[in-house]
Amino acid sequence: TTIRLNIMTLLSKKYLDIPKMLDAEDIVNTPKPDERAIMTYVSCFYHAFAGAEQAETAANRICKVLGVNQENEKLMEDYERLASELLEWIRRTTPWLENRVPEKTMSEMRKKLEDFRDYRRLHKPPKVQEKCQLEISFNTLQTKLRISNRPSFMPSEGKMVSDIASAWQGLEQAEKGYEEWLLTEIRRLERLDHLAEKFRQKATTHETWASGKEQILSQKDYDSASLSEIRALLRKHEAFESDLAAHQDRVEQIAAIAQELNELDYHDVAAVNQRCQSICDLWDHLGTLTQKRREALERTEKLLETVDQLFLEFAKRSAPFNNWMEGAMEDLQDMFIVHTIEEVQSLTAAHEQFKATLPEADSERQAILGIQNEVQKIYQNYGIRGNVTNPYSTISTEEIVVKWDKVKTLVPQRDGALQEELARQHANERLRRQFAAQANLIGPWIQTRMEEIARCALEMGGTLEDQMTQLKQYEHVIIAYKPNVDKLEGDHQLIQESLIFDNKHTNYTMEHIRVGWELLLTTIARTINEIETQILIRDAKGISQEQMHEFRSSFKHFDRKKNGVMDTDDFRACLISMGYDLGEVEFARIMMLVDPSATGVVSFQSFIDFMTRETADTDTADQVVASFRILATDKPYILADELRRELPPDQADYCIMRMPPYSGPGTVAGALDYTAFSTALYGESDL
Amino acid sequence: MEVLRDSRGWTHVELVLSGGAPWGFTLKGGREHREPLLVTKVEEGCKAAVAGVLIGDEIVSINAVPLTGYRQEAISLVKRSHNALTLVVRRFASLPIFPCNAKLF
Repeated sequence: TTIRLNIMTLLSKKYLDIPKMLDAEDIVNTPKPDERAIMTYVSCFYHAFAGAEQAETAANRICKVLGVNQENEKLMEDYERLASELLEWIRRTTPWLENRVPEKTMSEMRKKLEDFRDYRRLHKPPKVQEKCQLEISFNTLQTKLRISNRPSFMPSEGKMVSDIASAWQGLEQAEKGYEEWLLTEIRRLERLDHLAEKFRQKATTHETWASGKEQILSQKDYDSASLSEIRALLRKHEAFESDLAAHQDRVEQIAAIAQELNELDYHDVAAVNQRCQSICDLWDHLGTLTQKRREALERTEKLLETVDQLFLEFAKRSAPFNNWMEGAMEDLQDMFIVHTIEEVQSLTAAHEQFKATLPEADSERQAILGIQNEVQKIYQNYGIRGNVTNPYSTISTEEIVVKWDKVKTLVPQRDGALQEELARQHANERLRRQFAAQANLIGPWIQTRMEEIARCALEMGGTLEDQMTQLKQYEHVIIAYKPNVDKLEGDHQLIQESLIFDNKHTNYTMEHIRVGWELLLTTIARTINEIETQILIRDAKGISQEQMHEFRSSFKHFDRKKNGVMDTDDFRACLISMGYDLGEVEFARIMMLVDPSATGVVSFQSFIDFMTRETADTDTADQVVASFRILATDKPYILADELRRELPPDQADYCIMRMPPYSGPGTVAGALDYTAFSTALYGESDL
Repeated sequence: MEVLRDSRGWTHVELVLSGGAPWGFTLKGGREHREPLLVTKVEEGCKAAVAGVLIGDEIVSINAVPLTGYRQEAISLVKRSHNALTLVVRRFASLPIFPCNAKLF
């Protein structure tokens, strides 16, 4: 400052003649310079200059006018120049502002924004000022010209204020749009970056998830799975499907992002689209595969369920059928033992009934085997690999076939057996009939003969000899009949050998006939014997025919039951009729005599005996005793040589052998008791 | 005297004779003649009558020996007895008979 002040004072002195009134060092060094001094010095300058002014006024006027012209021309030139520059700048800048080609990256756009910001803060303000200046200059110029009565300034074409204004407007317009555009673009790019990143992220996540799914879905693991395994696979597939469904909106998101990227005109949108497309294609493919797998699994499940049902059906039907076959086999081989034609026939009928059920059984068998075939077919047609065995049944088709064949062979066998048996039973029946025919003849024949004999025995008219003749005739007939009985025995043997145990064609058994025959033989013999005995009695007792006849009539009369004998009441009545007055004791005695064996009945023989004893004159024991006494010369005993002397040798020996020793009073050695002997002879012994 | 009843009213009666032969009864019949062995006579007051033997009695055993039925056998058995003779007889018992001097059990 000091230096400058010094220079100023010097120069003013030199050129303006202003004395140096101030000291530079003083002014500088003094804290508060003297105001008045400075003002005085300065007014010198004023006066210097003012003084000069007038001097120059005239020259100045010319200079002023020229100068004004020069000024104005300069101003005009300046204006033109500035205007050109400005317009040039505008022309340059406007297209830059109008350039809406977006950059690819945000950083580039940001750069652009920065450039714009620079423009707005650095480049444009001076230009604004310039424009302002230009306007001011123009106005000043126009004023000056008007003041100085000069014509107004007319800028060259295109440089008019209006041109500048409109160009400036255009600039400002472009500017405004540009900033908006920049911001929009930047937002877009920001969004695009975000979206692209989001897309990448999601796509990657999705691709990770999707990898391998294709292989999994293409598995044919259901080919050889069982029903429960299929069901498990279906569950797993369901889970996968829901997973897939969950991923659906993720894929849609990805596609939406891609779409937005497309709309926002992402620079690398082709790659995005490609990736998106492959994702979508894969997605569709997965969807298709999933659907296919579901269908395959469901189809397989259904098939296996059908198979399972068939197996159940098989088990349900094959078990009873198997039982039936086993039962049939047993029944067909069932051993039978029969004794009548009817039994065989009922067995045959049962067998026929059984045979009638065979067609039904056969169709059942076919149905059951058909079930197995169906299962086979299903397995074949649908290519199911896996177990073809039935988990519900232990019965195999081979078993069924074998058993059925067995049944089929057993049926005719049984037919044969039954037929044989029927023939046998018919033969047996023939034997029975044969026997029965014979027996039914013989039985009554025997009966008739017995009756004949009984009748003959009771016959009262005719002689005993006549009876005897008749009986002998009967005997003859009977003997002649024997071959018939023998023949019957032969038939009976055949029957027994054939194991026939009954015969409904006759009530007579062989035993009946035998017994009857034997009884007949004994009866005829006994009856003949009785008649012989009666003849003997008659001859011995001297009963005349009339007496005999009488006896016979009585007997017949009192034989109330007409059975050839009298019971005790009959006999009692008979005795009473004959005049016997019997007490119980006496009657009992008599009963004892006539019925010693206590049979309760009195035979004709016994009756005759009783009657003749009472009436006949016979040798009694007493008479014989009397005879012996004579031989023993009145001794109570007899001696052996006395007997030998009087009786024929064999009779004497008989007596000697039979006579008991005499043990009464007066006995001697060798004395024989003829009394006891005699009574013994007559069936009596005195004790 | 022991009385046993069988079917039909026949009874078995045991009789004890004492005193020795002759006993006083007559036997008839026997197996030799295919007849039962019967008492046909009983002398009045004899030892048999005293013991209770009746006409019509069938001898079943003598001195506890069951008879085969032959008269000879019966005679021998009777003749072997000395002072006592035990008979079991079969008797039709429509009238129960209690001889007055029979032993009662």
